[in-house]
Amino acid sequence: MKKRADTLQGALDLLVLQTLEMGPMHGWGITLHIERVSDAILRVEEGSLYPALHRMEQEGWISASWGLSENNRRARYYALSAQGQKQLAAERENWKKITGAVGLVLNYGTGKA
Amino acid sequence: MAWLRRIRSLFRRDVHSRELDEELRFHMEMREQRNVDEGMQPAEARRRARVRFGNPTLWRERMSEIDLPLLPLTVWQDVRFGARMLRRHVGFTLTAVFALGLGIGVNTAAFTAYRAFFARKLDARDPSTLVNLAVILHTGATQPVFSYPDYVAYRDHLHSFSGVIATSLPQFLTVKAPGGVAVNENSGEDSVLGRLGLFPGMNNDNDEHALTMMVSENFFSVLGVGAIRGRTFRAGEAEQLAASPAVLISENYWQKKFGGEPDIVGKKVLLNGAPVTIIGVTPHNFVGTFVSAPDFWLPLSLEPLVHPQDNWLTDREKGCCHLRARLAPGVTLGEAEAEMTLVANHLRALHNRQSEWWQPLHAAVWPGSPFTIPLDQNAGLRICMLFVMAAVVLVLVVSCANVASLQLARASARQNELGMRLSLGASRWRLVRQLLTESAQLAVMAGAAAFFLSWALLQGAVVLVANAFPDEYGTFVFHVTPDLSAFAFVLGISLVAGVLFGFAPAFESSGSAVAASLKASSSASPGRRHRLRGFLIGTQVAVSAVLMVAGSLLIHTAIRSLSMETGYDDAHVVSLNLQFPEKAEYTDQRKSVLLQDLKPRLEALPGVVEVTDGHAPDDPDFREAAVSVNRQAPDRSNRKATLFYRWIQPNYFETLGIPLLAGRTFPGAGEDSAVVSQSAAKQLWPGEDPLGKTLRLGTDRQYHETAEPLPDGSVWRVTGIAQDTRGVTLDGSDSAQIYLPMPAEAAPQYPVLIHANVDGATLMREVEPALAAVDPNLSARLLTLEQMLRTTEPFIASSMAATIASITGLIGLLLVTVGIYGTVSYIVVQRTREVGIRMALGARRGDVLLLILRESARPVVAGLAVGLVLAVGAAWLLRHLLYGVPILDAVSFGGVSLLLLGVALLAAFLPSRRATLVDPMVALRYE
Repeated sequence: MKKRADTLQGALDLLVLQTLEMGPMHGWGITLHIERVSDAILRVEEGSLYPALHRMEQEGWISASWGLSENNRRARYYALSAQGQKQLAAERENWKKITGAVGLVLNYGTGKA
Repeated sequence: MAWLRRIRSLFRRDVHSRELDEELRFHMEMREQRNVDEGMQPAEARRRARVRFGNPTLWRERMSEIDLPLLPLTVWQDVRFGARMLRRHVGFTLTAVFALGLGIGVNTAAFTAYRAFFARKLDARDPSTLVNLAVILHTGATQPVFSYPDYVAYRDHLHSFSGVIATSLPQFLTVKAPGGVAVNENSGEDSVLGRLGLFPGMNNDNDEHALTMMVSENFFSVLGVGAIRGRTFRAGEAEQLAASPAVLISENYWQKKFGGEPDIVGKKVLLNGAPVTIIGVTPHNFVGTFVSAPDFWLPLSLEPLVHPQDNWLTDREKGCCHLRARLAPGVTLGEAEAEMTLVANHLRALHNRQSEWWQPLHAAVWPGSPFTIPLDQNAGLRICMLFVMAAVVLVLVVSCANVASLQLARASARQNELGMRLSLGASRWRLVRQLLTESAQLAVMAGAAAFFLSWALLQGAVVLVANAFPDEYGTFVFHVTPDLSAFAFVLGISLVAGVLFGFAPAFESSGSAVAASLKASSSASPGRRHRLRGFLIGTQVAVSAVLMVAGSLLIHTAIRSLSMETGYDDAHVVSLNLQFPEKAEYTDQRKSVLLQDLKPRLEALPGVVEVTDGHAPDDPDFREAAVSVNRQAPDRSNRKATLFYRWIQPNYFETLGIPLLAGRTFPGAGEDSAVVSQSAAKQLWPGEDPLGKTLRLGTDRQYHETAEPLPDGSVWRVTGIAQDTRGVTLDGSDSAQIYLPMPAEAAPQYPVLIHANVDGATLMREVEPALAAVDPNLSARLLTLEQMLRTTEPFIASSMAATIASITGLIGLLLVTVGIYGTVSYIVVQRTREVGIRMALGARRGDVLLLILRESARPVVAGLAVGLVLAVGAAWLLRHLLYGVPILDAVSFGGVSLLLLGVALLAAFLPSRRATLVDPMVALRYE
């Protein structure tokens, strides 16, 4: 029933879910976290994060609620749901498989040479 | 609960979009802040933040798409698209809305009319706890008329009811303000039925008549209705009322006659000459247990005041009133019936041994209605209703088939569009849904049209009914504004119809669209669709044929019943109903003397040939009796037949022009001789000569007046045979008559029949002075037998049925015409290319025309064949209404076939002609 997201989309989902595993966070916080942890290598158009968040909310992986940010502003906080937890595990597995496969292909090339 | 949020956000779109804005703005401002913290200039910080974020409007739109519910949005798209398509094909839309609206409108009108006319409740507070009362006699007949003493017993002894009320039939009383001069409006002649002679105006008297309902004193308190001025009668005040006679006036009559005069309460009027005081005004259009608002309400206990010779109040054998009651709280119909049966059988002992009330009885209690016997016992009415319902349902069938065939034709014309949409990725379900949305839109539009149509029809019907009866019959009150349930009924039908007729074409077209795909090909339409389309056209033709044949048979009957040989001279005989003043001094003896004085004067009038006393063959007053031919009194074992009898004087046959086939009439009264009609003779002595045979009659006193002579006891010897005459019963059974010599003293009870060679109006002018010469207080109603014939049950039933059937038949014909025209138009469009090829290969215009006509005619002819077979069945069902017209009436069947065929061919011919105008080059280039 659920559509399989393509890899790039899947990567973004994976990063968001992974971030939220640490606790509820707003979109800005998620952006900041990914930026910091990846040493500013993963930089996409920040706005594209929001449709992704809302889509995942509709899927039921995350839930959203309005809360106060660190500087006392109203912000929309996203939290991982039980279903999202499962999804995260699956996505992680999937990612590992893909990167493993890509690694195999790359290694095959260098091994021959 | 994401779906919940979706739905919520649909209703709170502004809130939703504000929240999206806020979420995005927070992000951008945080980034901007961070940039500033990193040492950028504010303007640069803002610009960088925007660049990193991308276009917020774009993102916001994406998010809305994700958040807002998807289904309603696409449904809205369907609706908008559907509306566009319907607007683009105005012709199709109008036709479909017209056809469906007509079908639904006629059905709604019939349904609402049924509720307003037949299923109507009593006009009272909380009508659901009111019931009607009657007894079922040992003969099985329902008797709803009780005597007044019996009523009092029921009123005082039944505990199942919190109140029992009695009402007499409405009657006309003369009304005069004391000392004032009454205005004679003679309004009966202005009304439709009055002009047709169905309701005679009051002739030859200068009195004004007021419709008066006589009701028990507790009538208003049991119904829970008060007076708008003054007061109503109170339960148990019969004695006070006898001391100071009082009457209530209806608001309608108060306005009409007294101009709403404010000091009406306390005024005196003379009813049948008796002074009564108006003590109150009943509400506007209050009808109580009746269907029309009367002029006055008079207490039953004052009956002796207006009819001094009657002894209703004390005579237990005299039928007086209909009873209704309010159930006590918690009592069921069955419990009430059981208790009333007990009381009824208790009362038996008080009745005369000759009376039908002396035999064991069973009570009947059923939900309150203005009709005095349960409607399902009236076979004639049931047949009529069934007939009307069948007719309107058939109209709906035609209109649905009509729209379905149009839809189907259009669907095949739309194949290219649908194929295009399929190949662009629309799912099959999506297409079906869209077609269904269009159908539903059509149905809703048709529903709205139908609602107004039925409203108009009903208003028209009410005006017609109201005008059909003379003013004297009071204000008829019908609530025919389509109520909520009627509206739900309309909407239900229109939606079901929408889905039904939308379904077949939807699946058909979406199925074949896959195959046809983008090939822009429509010539290779599957045979299946041809067959379905043919079937739908055939259905319309068949059902219309049934409706039209039925209509034509009934019209033929109505014409026949006017011109048919009645067996007597209806054109030259008039019936004169004498009305003696209701005063004690007019004894039976005095009436006899007056009549004997009058008759020679009538005979002497110019043009008068013969005068006699008795009921005419088409007089609604008829008498039945069991007949035995073995000289024993008729009972269960020796009853030969139940026939009709009539008291006549020796010159009856000459006066009415009824030929005597054999023997002679009796020389005079007092002789035990009888004349029988042909049919009576055939039933009593089949194959034998009836002359000289004897017979005895037994009436069980059923439906007889107390003063009426009874034929029981005597042994009658047959002296003559008269030719059959047409009577008043629906089945013609009263052609079997036994004519008996009338006792001289009974003559004043019967109308005077005058055979004259002048017309009714002239005769009336001559009769007036003759009456006045005998006694200026006499009044009379005069009717020609021809007029009377029109009031007989067979005539009214067949003319009503003819009207309904011909209207529905015409609607059917109209729908068929439209349907065929529309369908053939689409076929022509579809086959343009094929026609082009044929013409390029040398076909002439005539050939093409013939080709399309032949193809269109095939389902019409097939439908007609089926329709004619069904019509034979319908005619068989209607056989009781067909008076002197054979079931297989060649005129009806032949005429309808030709008419339908002609109209169908014309409807097909007009659009077919367009096909022949196709330019082969244009058609072929289209490939």
